[in-house]
Amino acid sequence: MAPLDVAARRGRTMTAAASPVLELSGVGRRFGGLQALSDVSFAVTQGEVVGLVGPNGAGKSTMFEVISGNIAPSSGSIRFFGKDITKLPAFARRRAGMARTFQKVRLFNSLTVEQNIAVAAMQCLPEPGRWQDEVQSVLTRMRLTAQARRRPPEITLADRKKVEIGRAIAGGCTLLMLDESLSGLTRDEADELVEEILGINRGRGLTIIVVEHVMPVVVAMAARLIVLKTGTLIADGPPAEVARDPVVIEAYLGSRPHGLA
Amino acid sequence: MLLVALVAAVATLPLWPFANNYIVALAVRTLLFIALGQAWNVIAGIGGMLSLGHGLFFGLGAYATGLLFNSFGLTPWLGLFPAMAIAAAAGLLVGLVTGHLRGIYFALATVVMSLAFEKLARYFVDLTGGDTGLSVTFRGDAPWAMQWRGPTAFLFLSLAVVVIYYLATRAILRSRFGLELQAVRDDEGAAAASGVNTFRTKLLGLMLSAAMTALVGTLYMQFYLNIDPSTAFGLFQAIQIQLPALIGGLGTAGGPVIGGALMILVSEAANIASGKLNLQGVDVLIYGLVLLLVVMRAPLGIIGEWHRWTSRRAGGAR
Repeated sequence: MAPLDVAARRGRTMTAAASPVLELSGVGRRFGGLQALSDVSFAVTQGEVVGLVGPNGAGKSTMFEVISGNIAPSSGSIRFFGKDITKLPAFARRRAGMARTFQKVRLFNSLTVEQNIAVAAMQCLPEPGRWQDEVQSVLTRMRLTAQARRRPPEITLADRKKVEIGRAIAGGCTLLMLDESLSGLTRDEADELVEEILGINRGRGLTIIVVEHVMPVVVAMAARLIVLKTGTLIADGPPAEVARDPVVIEAYLGSRPHGLA
Repeated sequence: MLLVALVAAVATLPLWPFANNYIVALAVRTLLFIALGQAWNVIAGIGGMLSLGHGLFFGLGAYATGLLFNSFGLTPWLGLFPAMAIAAAAGLLVGLVTGHLRGIYFALATVVMSLAFEKLARYFVDLTGGDTGLSVTFRGDAPWAMQWRGPTAFLFLSLAVVVIYYLATRAILRSRFGLELQAVRDDEGAAAASGVNTFRTKLLGLMLSAAMTALVGTLYMQFYLNIDPSTAFGLFQAIQIQLPALIGGLGTAGGPVIGGALMILVSEAANIASGKLNLQGVDVLIYGLVLLLVVMRAPLGIIGEWHRWTSRRAGGAR
Protein backbone atom coordinates (compact mmCIF):
# COMPACT_ATOMS: atom_id res chain seq x y z
CA MET A 1 0.00 0.00 0.00
CA ALA A 2 1.22 3.50 -0.80
CA PRO A 3 2.86 5.34 2.11
CA LEU A 4 0.82 8.49 1.41
CA ASP A 5 -2.50 7.18 2.66
CA VAL A 6 -0.96 5.55 5.69
CA ALA A 7 -1.79 8.30 8.13
CA ALA A 8 -5.38 8.49 6.95
CA ARG A 9 -5.90 4.76 7.41
CA ARG A 10 -4.47 4.51 10.87
CA GLY A 11 -6.76 3.81 13.73
CA ARG A 12 -7.67 6.28 16.38
CA THR A 13 -4.95 7.81 18.48
CA MET A 14 -4.79 7.62 22.23
CA THR A 15 -6.96 10.02 24.16
CA ALA A 16 -5.30 11.05 27.39
CA ALA A 17 -8.49 11.15 29.47
CA ALA A 18 -9.74 7.64 28.60
CA SER A 19 -9.35 4.94 31.23
CA PRO A 20 -7.18 1.97 30.31
CA VAL A 21 -8.91 -1.03 28.76
CA LEU A 22 -5.92 -3.24 29.41
CA GLU A 23 -3.18 -2.71 31.92
CA LEU A 24 -0.14 -4.94 32.37
CA SER A 25 2.11 -4.32 35.33
CA GLY A 26 5.41 -6.11 35.76
CA VAL A 27 4.28 -9.16 33.78
CA GLY A 28 6.88 -11.89 33.53
CA ARG A 29 6.82 -15.47 32.35
CA ARG A 30 9.50 -18.08 32.77
CA PHE A 31 9.61 -21.43 30.98
CA GLY A 32 12.18 -23.47 32.88
CA GLY A 33 15.43 -21.63 32.28
CA LEU A 34 14.01 -19.30 29.66
CA GLN A 35 12.68 -15.91 30.69
CA ALA A 36 10.16 -15.42 27.87
CA LEU A 37 8.81 -12.19 29.29
CA SER A 38 10.33 -10.01 31.97
CA ASP A 39 8.72 -7.13 33.81
CA VAL A 40 6.53 -5.90 30.95
CA SER A 41 4.25 -2.99 31.78
CA PHE A 42 1.99 -1.00 29.50
CA ALA A 43 -1.58 0.21 29.30
CA VAL A 44 -3.92 0.41 26.33
CA THR A 45 -6.81 2.88 26.27
CA GLN A 46 -10.16 2.49 24.60
CA GLY A 47 -10.22 2.79 20.83
CA GLU A 48 -6.46 2.49 20.44
CA VAL A 49 -4.90 0.33 17.74
CA VAL A 50 -1.60 -0.91 19.10
CA GLY A 51 0.98 -2.87 17.15
CA LEU A 52 3.01 -5.42 19.06
CA VAL A 53 6.28 -5.92 17.18
CA GLY A 54 9.71 -7.37 17.67
CA PRO A 55 12.11 -9.83 16.12
CA ASN A 56 11.46 -13.58 16.24
CA GLY A 57 11.56 -14.94 19.76
CA ALA A 58 10.88 -11.51 21.25
CA GLY A 59 7.97 -12.84 23.28
CA LYS A 60 5.07 -11.55 21.18
CA SER A 61 3.26 -14.87 21.12
CA THR A 62 3.85 -15.52 24.82
CA MET A 63 2.49 -12.04 25.51
CA PHE A 64 -0.64 -12.87 23.51
CA GLU A 65 -1.15 -16.14 25.37
CA VAL A 66 -0.64 -14.46 28.75
CA ILE A 67 -3.10 -11.66 27.97
CA SER A 68 -5.74 -14.04 26.60
CA GLY A 69 -5.38 -16.40 29.57
CA ASN A 70 -3.88 -19.52 28.02
CA ILE A 71 -0.59 -19.11 29.85
CA ALA A 72 -0.45 -17.82 33.41
CA PRO A 73 2.17 -15.17 34.08
CA SER A 74 4.90 -16.13 36.57
CA SER A 75 4.81 -12.61 37.99
CA GLY A 76 2.93 -9.36 37.64
CA SER A 77 -0.74 -8.64 37.09
CA ILE A 78 -3.18 -7.92 34.27
CA ARG A 79 -6.17 -5.63 34.62
CA PHE A 80 -9.08 -5.38 32.19
CA PHE A 81 -11.23 -2.27 32.62
CA GLY A 82 -9.65 -1.86 36.05
CA LYS A 83 -10.52 -5.37 37.18
CA ASP A 84 -7.74 -7.81 38.04
CA ILE A 85 -8.07 -10.73 35.62
CA THR A 86 -4.67 -12.34 36.23
CA LYS A 87 -6.29 -15.55 37.47
CA LEU A 88 -9.36 -15.54 35.18
CA PRO A 89 -9.53 -18.50 32.74
CA ALA A 90 -9.47 -17.86 28.98
CA PHE A 91 -13.19 -18.47 28.42
CA ALA A 92 -14.18 -16.01 31.14
CA ARG A 93 -11.90 -13.35 29.64
CA ARG A 94 -13.64 -13.86 26.30
CA ARG A 95 -17.03 -13.47 27.93
CA ALA A 96 -15.78 -10.28 29.59
CA GLY A 97 -15.07 -8.91 26.12
CA MET A 98 -11.49 -9.86 25.33
CA ALA A 99 -11.21 -11.77 22.05
CA ARG A 100 -8.39 -13.07 19.90
CA THR A 101 -7.51 -14.72 16.65
CA PHE A 102 -4.80 -17.33 16.12
CA GLN A 103 -1.62 -17.21 14.10
CA LYS A 104 -2.82 -20.19 12.12
CA VAL A 105 -6.60 -19.89 11.64
CA ARG A 106 -8.45 -22.12 14.09
CA LEU A 107 -12.12 -22.59 13.25
CA PHE A 108 -14.63 -25.30 14.11
CA ASN A 109 -14.36 -27.25 10.88
CA SER A 110 -17.47 -29.37 11.23
CA LEU A 111 -19.69 -26.36 11.95
CA THR A 112 -20.94 -23.88 9.38
CA VAL A 113 -19.61 -20.32 9.20
CA GLU A 114 -22.82 -19.17 10.85
CA GLN A 115 -22.48 -21.70 13.67
CA ASN A 116 -18.82 -20.78 14.19
CA ILE A 117 -19.86 -17.23 14.92
CA ALA A 118 -22.90 -18.36 16.91
CA VAL A 119 -20.74 -20.36 19.34
CA ALA A 120 -19.05 -17.16 20.44
CA ALA A 121 -22.14 -14.93 20.25
CA MET A 122 -24.22 -17.20 22.52
CA GLN A 123 -21.59 -17.11 25.26
CA CYS A 124 -21.87 -13.35 25.59
CA LEU A 125 -25.56 -12.89 24.76
CA PRO A 126 -27.41 -15.85 26.29
CA GLU A 127 -30.92 -14.88 25.10
CA PRO A 128 -31.54 -16.72 21.79
CA GLY A 129 -33.09 -13.73 20.02
CA ARG A 130 -30.16 -11.49 20.81
CA TRP A 131 -27.36 -13.80 19.78
CA GLN A 132 -29.16 -14.78 16.60
CA ASP A 133 -29.43 -11.10 15.63
CA GLU A 134 -25.79 -10.63 16.53
CA VAL A 135 -24.72 -13.52 14.27
CA GLN A 136 -26.61 -11.97 11.33
CA SER A 137 -25.12 -8.55 11.98
CA VAL A 138 -21.57 -9.97 12.18
CA LEU A 139 -22.13 -11.95 8.95
CA THR A 140 -23.26 -8.77 7.21
CA ARG A 141 -20.43 -6.67 8.59
CA MET A 142 -17.78 -9.20 7.58
CA ARG A 143 -19.50 -9.73 4.19
CA LEU A 144 -19.90 -13.43 4.85
CA THR A 145 -23.65 -13.78 4.30
CA ALA A 146 -23.13 -15.81 1.11
CA GLN A 147 -20.83 -18.20 2.98
CA ALA A 148 -23.07 -18.56 6.06
CA ARG A 149 -24.04 -22.19 5.39
CA ARG A 150 -20.63 -23.37 4.21
CA ARG A 151 -18.04 -25.05 6.37
CA PRO A 152 -14.53 -23.65 6.83
CA PRO A 153 -12.76 -26.22 4.61
CA GLU A 154 -15.05 -25.14 1.74
CA ILE A 155 -14.11 -21.43 1.74
CA THR A 156 -10.98 -19.42 0.90
CA LEU A 157 -8.25 -18.57 3.39
CA ALA A 158 -9.24 -14.89 3.25
CA ASP A 159 -12.81 -15.81 4.14
CA ARG A 160 -11.65 -18.13 6.91
CA LYS A 161 -9.69 -15.25 8.41
CA LYS A 162 -12.80 -13.11 8.19
CA VAL A 163 -14.82 -15.80 9.97
CA GLU A 164 -12.23 -15.95 12.73
CA ILE A 165 -12.36 -12.18 13.18
CA GLY A 166 -16.16 -12.30 13.02
CA ARG A 167 -16.21 -14.99 15.69
CA ALA A 168 -13.88 -12.82 17.77
CA ILE A 169 -15.96 -9.65 17.59
CA ALA A 170 -19.32 -11.41 18.05
CA GLY A 171 -21.18 -10.69 21.25
CA GLY A 172 -19.80 -7.36 22.31
CA CYS A 173 -16.06 -7.76 22.22
CA THR A 174 -14.21 -4.69 23.51
CA LEU A 175 -10.58 -5.71 23.04
CA LEU A 176 -9.58 -7.55 19.88
CA MET A 177 -6.18 -9.19 19.65
CA LEU A 178 -5.13 -10.14 16.13
CA ASP A 179 -2.29 -12.62 15.78
CA GLU A 180 -0.90 -12.22 12.26
CA SER A 181 -4.35 -12.12 10.74
CA LEU A 182 -3.00 -10.91 7.42
CA SER A 183 -0.27 -13.45 6.80
CA GLY A 184 -0.83 -15.66 3.78
CA LEU A 185 -3.20 -13.20 2.12
CA THR A 186 -2.64 -11.43 -1.18
CA ARG A 187 -2.07 -7.69 -0.99
CA ASP A 188 -5.65 -6.96 -2.12
CA GLU A 189 -7.13 -9.37 0.39
CA ALA A 190 -4.95 -7.90 3.15
CA ASP A 191 -5.95 -4.35 2.22
CA GLU A 192 -9.61 -5.31 2.32
CA LEU A 193 -9.26 -7.00 5.69
CA VAL A 194 -7.38 -4.00 7.14
CA GLU A 195 -10.29 -1.83 5.99
CA GLU A 196 -12.78 -4.15 7.72
CA ILE A 197 -10.77 -4.18 10.93
CA LEU A 198 -10.32 -0.41 11.03
CA GLY A 199 -14.01 -0.04 10.21
CA ILE A 200 -14.87 -2.05 13.33
CA ASN A 201 -12.38 0.01 15.30
CA ARG A 202 -14.07 3.25 14.23
CA GLY A 203 -17.63 1.92 14.31
CA ARG A 204 -17.60 0.11 17.63
CA GLY A 205 -14.75 1.98 19.30
CA LEU A 206 -13.04 -1.37 19.53
CA THR A 207 -9.57 -1.49 21.04
CA ILE A 208 -7.17 -3.56 18.95
CA ILE A 209 -3.77 -5.11 19.58
CA VAL A 210 -2.07 -6.41 16.44
CA VAL A 211 0.85 -8.79 16.14
CA GLU A 212 2.12 -8.70 12.60
CA HIS A 213 5.41 -9.55 10.98
CA VAL A 214 4.87 -7.41 7.91
CA MET A 215 5.91 -4.01 9.19
CA PRO A 216 4.10 -1.80 6.64
CA VAL A 217 0.86 -3.51 7.61
CA VAL A 218 1.35 -2.74 11.29
CA VAL A 219 2.25 0.83 10.53
CA ALA A 220 -0.81 1.17 8.31
CA MET A 221 -3.06 0.09 11.14
CA ALA A 222 -1.48 1.07 14.41
CA ALA A 223 -1.06 4.53 15.81
CA ARG A 224 1.23 3.17 18.50
CA LEU A 225 3.90 0.51 18.53
CA ILE A 226 5.12 -1.58 21.42
CA VAL A 227 8.46 -3.19 20.68
CA LEU A 228 9.59 -6.33 22.47
CA LYS A 229 13.04 -7.84 22.41
CA THR A 230 13.98 -11.04 24.25
CA GLY A 231 10.98 -10.64 26.49
CA THR A 232 11.61 -7.04 27.45
CA LEU A 233 9.69 -3.95 26.37
CA ILE A 234 12.25 -1.74 24.65
CA ALA A 235 10.09 0.95 23.07
CA ASP A 236 6.52 2.25 23.21
CA GLY A 237 5.21 5.16 21.17
CA PRO A 238 4.03 6.43 17.77
CA PRO A 239 5.58 4.53 14.84
CA ALA A 240 7.70 7.43 13.60
CA GLU A 241 9.17 7.99 17.04
CA VAL A 242 9.79 4.30 17.62
CA ALA A 243 11.56 4.03 14.25
CA ARG A 244 14.06 6.68 15.29
CA ASP A 245 14.76 5.01 18.62
CA PRO A 246 18.38 3.76 18.58
CA VAL A 247 17.48 0.79 20.80
CA VAL A 248 14.88 -0.36 18.29
CA ILE A 249 17.28 0.11 15.36
CA GLU A 250 19.85 -1.93 17.27
CA ALA A 251 17.26 -4.67 17.95
CA TYR A 252 16.59 -5.01 14.23
CA LEU A 253 20.27 -5.86 13.51
CA GLY A 254 21.49 -2.34 13.27
CA SER A 255 19.36 -1.42 10.30
CA ARG A 256 16.32 0.80 10.14
CA PRO A 257 13.31 -1.51 10.54
CA HIS A 258 12.10 -2.17 7.05
CA GLY A 259 8.98 -0.25 6.18
CA LEU A 260 8.91 1.95 9.24
CA ALA A 261 8.34 5.51 8.13
CA MET B 1 -40.08 -40.73 6.40
CA LEU B 2 -37.49 -43.47 6.42
CA LEU B 3 -37.41 -43.26 10.17
CA VAL B 4 -41.17 -43.67 10.47
CA ALA B 5 -41.11 -46.66 8.10
CA LEU B 6 -38.31 -48.31 10.06
CA VAL B 7 -40.05 -47.76 13.37
CA ALA B 8 -43.29 -49.18 11.94
CA ALA B 9 -41.44 -52.20 10.55
CA VAL B 10 -39.77 -52.98 13.87
CA ALA B 11 -42.89 -52.31 15.92
CA THR B 12 -44.98 -54.72 13.83
CA LEU B 13 -42.22 -57.36 13.79
CA PRO B 14 -44.10 -59.81 16.08
CA LEU B 15 -46.96 -59.89 13.52
CA TRP B 16 -44.76 -60.87 10.61
CA PRO B 17 -45.17 -64.43 9.27
CA PHE B 18 -41.61 -65.58 9.94
CA ALA B 19 -41.47 -63.96 13.38
CA ASN B 20 -40.70 -66.07 16.41
CA ASN B 21 -39.30 -65.40 19.84
CA TYR B 22 -35.75 -65.80 18.59
CA ILE B 23 -36.18 -63.12 15.92
CA VAL B 24 -37.90 -60.73 18.32
CA ALA B 25 -35.22 -61.30 20.95
CA LEU B 26 -32.58 -60.67 18.30
CA ALA B 27 -34.31 -57.39 17.46
CA VAL B 28 -34.26 -56.44 21.16
CA ARG B 29 -30.55 -57.27 21.33
CA THR B 30 -29.99 -55.09 18.26
CA LEU B 31 -31.98 -52.20 19.69
CA LEU B 32 -30.11 -52.34 23.02
CA PHE B 33 -26.83 -52.43 21.09
CA ILE B 34 -27.95 -49.39 19.09
CA ALA B 35 -29.09 -47.52 22.20
CA LEU B 36 -25.71 -48.09 23.86
CA GLY B 37 -24.04 -46.74 20.74
CA GLN B 38 -26.34 -43.72 20.76
CA ALA B 39 -25.49 -42.98 24.41
CA TRP B 40 -21.75 -43.29 23.79
CA ASN B 41 -22.06 -41.16 20.64
CA VAL B 42 -23.19 -38.15 22.68
CA ILE B 43 -19.83 -37.67 24.38
CA ALA B 44 -17.53 -39.51 21.96
CA GLY B 45 -19.11 -38.53 18.65
CA ILE B 46 -20.47 -35.07 19.37
CA GLY B 47 -17.98 -34.17 22.10
CA GLY B 48 -14.94 -35.94 20.69
CA MET B 49 -14.00 -37.64 23.96
CA LEU B 50 -13.31 -41.23 22.94
CA SER B 51 -14.30 -42.97 26.15
CA LEU B 52 -13.33 -46.61 26.51
CA GLY B 53 -14.96 -46.74 29.91
CA HIS B 54 -18.66 -46.66 29.12
CA GLY B 55 -19.00 -50.21 30.36
CA LEU B 56 -18.71 -48.57 33.77
CA PHE B 57 -21.95 -46.63 33.29
CA PHE B 58 -23.70 -49.55 31.62
CA GLY B 59 -22.73 -51.85 34.50
CA LEU B 60 -23.67 -49.34 37.17
CA GLY B 61 -27.10 -49.00 35.55
CA ALA B 62 -27.63 -52.75 35.43
CA TYR B 63 -26.28 -53.53 38.91
CA ALA B 64 -28.06 -50.57 40.54
CA THR B 65 -31.49 -51.51 39.16
CA GLY B 66 -30.96 -55.18 40.01
CA LEU B 67 -29.78 -54.51 43.56
CA LEU B 68 -32.55 -52.00 44.24
CA PHE B 69 -35.10 -54.54 43.04
CA ASN B 70 -33.68 -57.54 44.88
CA SER B 71 -32.94 -55.77 48.17
CA PHE B 72 -35.69 -53.18 48.41
CA GLY B 73 -38.26 -54.42 45.94
CA LEU B 74 -37.98 -51.14 44.08
CA THR B 75 -39.57 -51.50 40.66
CA PRO B 76 -37.12 -50.89 37.79
CA TRP B 77 -39.56 -48.29 36.44
CA LEU B 78 -38.45 -46.17 39.40
CA GLY B 79 -35.08 -47.84 39.89
CA LEU B 80 -33.94 -46.52 36.55
CA PHE B 81 -33.83 -42.99 37.98
CA PRO B 82 -31.36 -43.67 40.81
CA ALA B 83 -29.45 -45.87 38.35
CA MET B 84 -29.13 -42.97 35.91
CA ALA B 85 -28.27 -40.59 38.74
CA ILE B 86 -25.53 -42.90 40.04
CA ALA B 87 -24.09 -43.22 36.54
CA ALA B 88 -24.22 -39.45 36.04
CA ALA B 89 -22.40 -38.99 39.35
CA ALA B 90 -19.81 -41.54 38.21
CA GLY B 91 -19.55 -39.61 34.95
CA LEU B 92 -18.92 -36.45 36.92
CA LEU B 93 -16.17 -38.15 38.92
CA VAL B 94 -14.60 -39.66 35.80
CA GLY B 95 -14.74 -36.23 34.16
CA LEU B 96 -13.22 -34.46 37.14
CA VAL B 97 -10.33 -36.93 37.22
CA THR B 98 -9.75 -37.35 33.47
CA GLY B 99 -11.45 -34.34 31.86
CA HIS B 100 -8.17 -32.55 31.24
CA LEU B 101 -6.78 -35.54 29.35
CA ARG B 102 -7.10 -35.78 25.60
CA GLY B 103 -7.38 -38.48 22.97
CA ILE B 104 -5.66 -41.73 23.80
CA TYR B 105 -4.85 -40.64 27.37
CA PHE B 106 -8.50 -40.05 28.13
CA ALA B 107 -9.37 -43.41 26.54
CA LEU B 108 -6.78 -45.23 28.65
CA ALA B 109 -7.81 -43.50 31.87
CA THR B 110 -11.46 -44.36 31.33
CA VAL B 111 -10.85 -48.00 30.45
CA VAL B 112 -8.74 -48.41 33.59
CA MET B 113 -11.65 -47.13 35.70
CA SER B 114 -14.06 -49.52 34.07
CA LEU B 115 -11.69 -52.47 34.57
CA ALA B 116 -11.24 -51.46 38.20
CA PHE B 117 -14.99 -51.83 38.64
CA GLU B 118 -14.81 -55.27 37.07
CA LYS B 119 -12.39 -56.27 39.83
CA LEU B 120 -14.58 -54.64 42.50
CA ALA B 121 -17.66 -56.48 41.24
CA ARG B 122 -15.78 -59.77 41.50
CA TYR B 123 -14.46 -58.95 44.95
CA PHE B 124 -17.67 -57.91 46.73
CA VAL B 125 -19.36 -61.27 46.21
CA ASP B 126 -22.09 -60.73 48.82
CA LEU B 127 -23.32 -57.60 47.12
CA THR B 128 -22.76 -58.36 43.44
CA GLY B 129 -22.78 -62.12 43.20
CA GLY B 130 -19.12 -62.10 42.19
CA ASP B 131 -18.05 -63.98 39.05
CA THR B 132 -21.45 -65.56 38.40
CA GLY B 133 -23.02 -62.15 38.43
CA LEU B 134 -26.19 -60.69 39.81
CA SER B 135 -29.57 -62.16 38.94
CA VAL B 136 -32.86 -60.42 39.46
CA THR B 137 -35.68 -62.44 40.91
CA PHE B 138 -37.97 -63.51 38.07
CA ARG B 139 -41.64 -62.75 38.66
CA GLY B 140 -43.08 -64.06 35.40
CA ASP B 141 -45.35 -61.72 33.49
CA ALA B 142 -45.06 -58.77 35.83
CA PRO B 143 -45.27 -55.41 34.07
CA TRP B 144 -44.78 -53.58 37.39
CA ALA B 145 -41.38 -55.31 37.67
CA MET B 146 -40.53 -54.62 34.00
CA GLN B 147 -40.55 -58.39 33.41
CA TRP B 148 -42.30 -60.52 30.82
CA ARG B 149 -42.02 -64.12 29.70
CA GLY B 150 -41.80 -63.19 26.03
CA PRO B 151 -39.57 -60.59 24.38
CA THR B 152 -42.34 -58.56 22.68
CA ALA B 153 -42.79 -55.96 25.43
CA PHE B 154 -39.04 -55.39 25.44
CA LEU B 155 -39.18 -54.84 21.71
CA PHE B 156 -41.49 -51.86 22.21
CA LEU B 157 -39.57 -50.63 25.22
CA SER B 158 -36.15 -50.72 23.56
CA LEU B 159 -37.58 -49.34 20.31
CA ALA B 160 -38.98 -46.40 22.28
CA VAL B 161 -35.57 -45.77 23.83
CA VAL B 162 -33.82 -45.89 20.44
CA VAL B 163 -36.37 -43.45 18.94
CA ILE B 164 -36.08 -41.10 21.93
CA TYR B 165 -32.27 -41.24 21.79
CA TYR B 166 -32.34 -40.58 18.05
CA LEU B 167 -34.56 -37.53 18.48
CA ALA B 168 -32.52 -36.41 21.49
CA THR B 169 -29.29 -36.64 19.47
CA ARG B 170 -30.81 -34.53 16.72
CA ALA B 171 -31.98 -31.97 19.27
CA ILE B 172 -28.57 -31.91 20.95
CA LEU B 173 -26.80 -31.39 17.62
CA ARG B 174 -28.90 -28.28 16.98
CA SER B 175 -28.89 -26.96 20.53
CA ARG B 176 -26.57 -24.49 22.15
CA PHE B 177 -25.07 -27.28 24.25
CA GLY B 178 -24.50 -29.39 21.14
CA LEU B 179 -22.76 -26.54 19.33
CA GLU B 180 -20.50 -26.08 22.33
CA LEU B 181 -19.71 -29.80 22.47
CA GLN B 182 -18.87 -29.82 18.76
CA ALA B 183 -16.75 -26.69 19.14
CA VAL B 184 -14.80 -28.39 21.95
CA ARG B 185 -14.38 -31.48 19.77
CA ASP B 186 -13.15 -29.51 16.76
CA ASP B 187 -10.72 -27.24 18.64
CA GLU B 188 -10.74 -26.97 22.40
CA GLY B 189 -8.41 -23.97 22.48
CA ALA B 190 -10.49 -22.04 19.98
CA ALA B 191 -13.66 -22.98 21.89
CA ALA B 192 -12.22 -21.51 25.09
CA ALA B 193 -11.13 -18.43 23.13
CA SER B 194 -14.76 -18.13 21.98
CA GLY B 195 -15.99 -18.09 25.57
CA VAL B 196 -17.00 -21.73 25.90
CA ASN B 197 -16.41 -23.16 29.37
CA THR B 198 -14.81 -26.24 27.88
CA PHE B 199 -14.35 -28.21 31.10
CA ARG B 200 -17.95 -27.72 32.16
CA THR B 201 -19.19 -28.62 28.67
CA LYS B 202 -17.20 -31.86 28.72
CA LEU B 203 -18.42 -32.74 32.22
CA LEU B 204 -22.07 -32.17 31.29
CA GLY B 205 -21.66 -34.19 28.10
CA LEU B 206 -20.08 -37.05 29.98
CA MET B 207 -22.81 -37.02 32.65
CA LEU B 208 -25.58 -37.00 30.06
CA SER B 209 -23.94 -39.81 28.10
CA ALA B 210 -23.39 -41.82 31.32
CA ALA B 211 -27.04 -41.48 32.36
CA MET B 212 -28.23 -42.52 28.90
CA THR B 213 -25.91 -45.54 29.05
CA ALA B 214 -27.20 -46.53 32.48
CA LEU B 215 -30.80 -46.60 31.24
CA VAL B 216 -29.77 -49.19 28.66
CA GLY B 217 -28.13 -51.10 31.52
CA THR B 218 -31.49 -51.16 33.29
CA LEU B 219 -33.24 -52.56 30.23
CA TYR B 220 -30.46 -55.10 29.73
CA MET B 221 -30.81 -56.28 33.33
CA GLN B 222 -34.58 -56.73 33.02
CA PHE B 223 -34.32 -58.46 29.66
CA TYR B 224 -31.52 -60.91 30.45
CA LEU B 225 -32.24 -61.04 34.21
CA ASN B 226 -28.53 -61.37 34.90
CA ILE B 227 -25.38 -59.30 34.67
CA ASP B 228 -21.83 -60.41 35.36
CA PRO B 229 -18.68 -58.35 35.90
CA SER B 230 -17.12 -58.92 32.49
CA THR B 231 -20.36 -58.29 30.55
CA ALA B 232 -20.77 -55.05 32.47
CA PHE B 233 -17.30 -53.62 32.95
CA GLY B 234 -15.06 -55.78 30.76
CA LEU B 235 -12.86 -54.83 27.86
CA PHE B 236 -15.12 -56.51 25.30
CA GLN B 237 -18.07 -54.37 26.38
CA ALA B 238 -15.88 -51.24 26.29
CA ILE B 239 -15.09 -51.94 22.65
CA GLN B 240 -18.58 -53.16 21.66
CA ILE B 241 -20.17 -49.90 22.81
CA GLN B 242 -18.08 -47.94 20.32
CA LEU B 243 -18.93 -49.99 17.25
CA PRO B 244 -22.40 -48.69 16.27
CA ALA B 245 -21.29 -45.06 16.13
CA LEU B 246 -17.86 -45.79 14.66
CA ILE B 247 -19.30 -47.96 11.89
CA GLY B 248 -22.40 -45.89 11.22
CA GLY B 249 -20.95 -42.40 11.54
CA LEU B 250 -19.50 -40.70 14.58
CA GLY B 251 -21.35 -37.66 15.84
CA THR B 252 -24.42 -38.17 13.65
CA ALA B 253 -27.93 -38.99 14.85
CA GLY B 254 -28.45 -41.86 12.40
CA GLY B 255 -24.95 -43.32 12.60
CA PRO B 256 -25.35 -45.57 15.66
CA VAL B 257 -28.70 -46.84 14.34
CA ILE B 258 -27.29 -47.90 10.99
CA GLY B 259 -24.00 -49.13 12.44
CA GLY B 260 -25.64 -51.11 15.24
CA ALA B 261 -28.13 -52.80 12.93
CA LEU B 262 -25.43 -53.63 10.41
CA MET B 263 -23.06 -55.14 12.96
CA ILE B 264 -25.73 -57.42 14.43
CA LEU B 265 -26.75 -58.51 10.92
CA VAL B 266 -23.13 -59.29 10.09
CA SER B 267 -22.63 -61.12 13.35
CA GLU B 268 -25.79 -63.20 12.85
CA ALA B 269 -24.96 -63.99 9.22
CA ALA B 270 -21.45 -64.98 10.23
CA ASN B 271 -22.86 -67.10 13.02
CA ILE B 272 -25.18 -68.95 10.64
CA ALA B 273 -22.39 -69.33 8.10
CA SER B 274 -20.02 -70.81 10.65
CA GLY B 275 -22.75 -73.25 11.70
CA LYS B 276 -23.38 -74.32 8.10
CA LEU B 277 -19.67 -74.66 7.38
CA ASN B 278 -19.16 -76.33 10.72
CA LEU B 279 -16.17 -74.12 11.34
CA GLN B 280 -16.07 -72.85 14.89
CA GLY B 281 -14.79 -69.34 15.39
CA VAL B 282 -15.31 -68.35 11.76
CA ASP B 283 -18.10 -65.98 12.84
CA VAL B 284 -15.74 -63.94 15.01
CA LEU B 285 -13.26 -63.84 12.15
CA ILE B 286 -15.87 -62.56 9.67
CA TYR B 287 -17.14 -60.03 12.18
CA GLY B 288 -13.60 -58.80 12.76
CA LEU B 289 -12.86 -58.60 9.04
CA VAL B 290 -15.97 -56.54 8.32
CA LEU B 291 -15.04 -54.24 11.18
CA LEU B 292 -11.51 -53.87 9.88
CA LEU B 293 -12.76 -53.22 6.36
CA VAL B 294 -15.11 -50.44 7.45
CA VAL B 295 -12.50 -48.79 9.66
CA MET B 296 -9.90 -48.88 6.88
CA ARG B 297 -12.07 -48.09 3.86
CA ALA B 298 -14.68 -45.83 5.44
CA PRO B 299 -13.06 -44.06 8.39
CA LEU B 300 -15.90 -41.51 8.56
CA GLY B 301 -18.47 -44.25 9.02
CA ILE B 302 -21.32 -45.03 6.66
CA ILE B 303 -23.12 -41.70 7.07
CA GLY B 304 -19.89 -39.69 7.01
CA GLU B 305 -18.72 -41.38 3.80
CA TRP B 306 -22.14 -40.89 2.25
CA HIS B 307 -21.99 -37.15 2.97
CA ARG B 308 -18.48 -36.93 1.57
CA TRP B 309 -19.55 -38.77 -1.55
CA THR B 310 -22.67 -36.66 -2.16
CA SER B 311 -20.88 -33.38 -1.47
CA ARG B 312 -18.08 -34.37 -3.85
CA ARG B 313 -20.67 -35.11 -6.53
CA ALA B 314 -22.37 -31.78 -5.84
CA GLY B 315 -18.97 -30.09 -6.03
CA GLY B 316 -18.23 -31.72 -9.40
CA ALA B 317 -21.57 -30.60 -10.82
CA ARG B 318 -20.95 -26.96 -10.00
